[in-house]
Amino acid sequence: MSYSLTIPSLETERLILRAPGPQDFAPFAAFYASPRADFVGGPLTAEGAWRMLAMEIGHWTLKGFGRWTVTVKGSDEAVGMIGLFDPEGWPETEIGWDLFGSHEGKGYATEAGAAARNYAYTVLGLSTVISLVKPANTASARVAQRLGAKHDGDFIHERHGQMQIWRHPGPDDLTDGGMEAYA
Amino acid sequence: MTATGLTLPLDIPTVETDRLILRGPQPGDFEPLAAFFADEARSWGFGGPMERNGAWRWFAGNIGHWALHGYGFWTVEAKDGGQIIGIVGLWNPEGWPEPELGWVMFAGSEGKGLAFEAAAAARAHAYGPMGFTTLTSNIFPGNARSVELAERLGAWHETDFENVSHGIEMRYRHPAPETLAAATKTEGAA
Repeated sequence: MSYSLTIPSLETERLILRAPGPQDFAPFAAFYASPRADFVGGPLTAEGAWRMLAMEIGHWTLKGFGRWTVTVKGSDEAVGMIGLFDPEGWPETEIGWDLFGSHEGKGYATEAGAAARNYAYTVLGLSTVISLVKPANTASARVAQRLGAKHDGDFIHERHGQMQIWRHPGPDDLTDGGMEAYA
Repeated sequence: MTATGLTLPLDIPTVETDRLILRGPQPGDFEPLAAFFADEARSWGFGGPMERNGAWRWFAGNIGHWALHGYGFWTVEAKDGGQIIGIVGLWNPEGWPEPELGWVMFAGSEGKGLAFEAAAAARAHAYGPMGFTTLTSNIFPGNARSVELAERLGAWHETDFENVSHGIEMRYRHPAPETLAAATKTEGAA
């Protein structure tokens, strides 16, 4: 039996969201080695980061969705990993966003997060999505707010500890399918 | 927003032996794998014990391993009855010194030569269609059952090394493809 794994690419105004691959390992490992990854399960060794990258790919096969490598148009270099995440033990499907290195502060997480949310609602047919945010991760909470999400209780994960559940506006609340209504 | 597709290579071959089918992982394989990882007595030699969430991430990571390397762990299924009896395959995550042949038998499947049959088939597939020229197996000191299988496969204790995630392990080296081919020829002539 032969398996295949087709991961769609999404295009936004400034970004391309594409399938993760081996070429993303170096920026992915650098991000997960840095203190920036403290809020998202890091820091990780290079080996841990490789296994995480492999897991992101396997997630697509097992769940039919996952996180994309985010690139800025004009370059194929990974600037982040953003998309839909629902591994075993997660309370429900979330939109997760990790931006690497110096790529924060440009609205990329919001832009890619909105595209991932639109994909969840229009392609996958989900009726609701959340984002999990560590309480001290104020930058991430701001992205959730910009996307129109509201703090909707907490979730205790056996390894990550306490996380805030931010609930996104549902498909019916989003007339334009994106973030503009909340900008 | 436009969507186009990108297909990652994920051609997982199926390998057949007398009694077994080695096939790509499928969602239904997760429960027996999670049960294995939850059992410390069985999984200590394989990075366990691991809670269910960690087992899922390992399971997903193995599929990604296939996508990234073109090889990984197969699910081993018994032809008779279709039971999932273990996993066997080729493993080479970041930090590994070289690719290794690994095997795990789930509860109740030992003592029938099935691990040998699965591992020998995986090795033959690695040396044949996949083009490997050498293989190792990394074994925790004290894992006598695994040492026994490695030796039955003709592998020898080459050295000890510090594994990036598991500490000190014994490295067993498998006979090269041409050595195995010569041995098979001799047997055939006998």
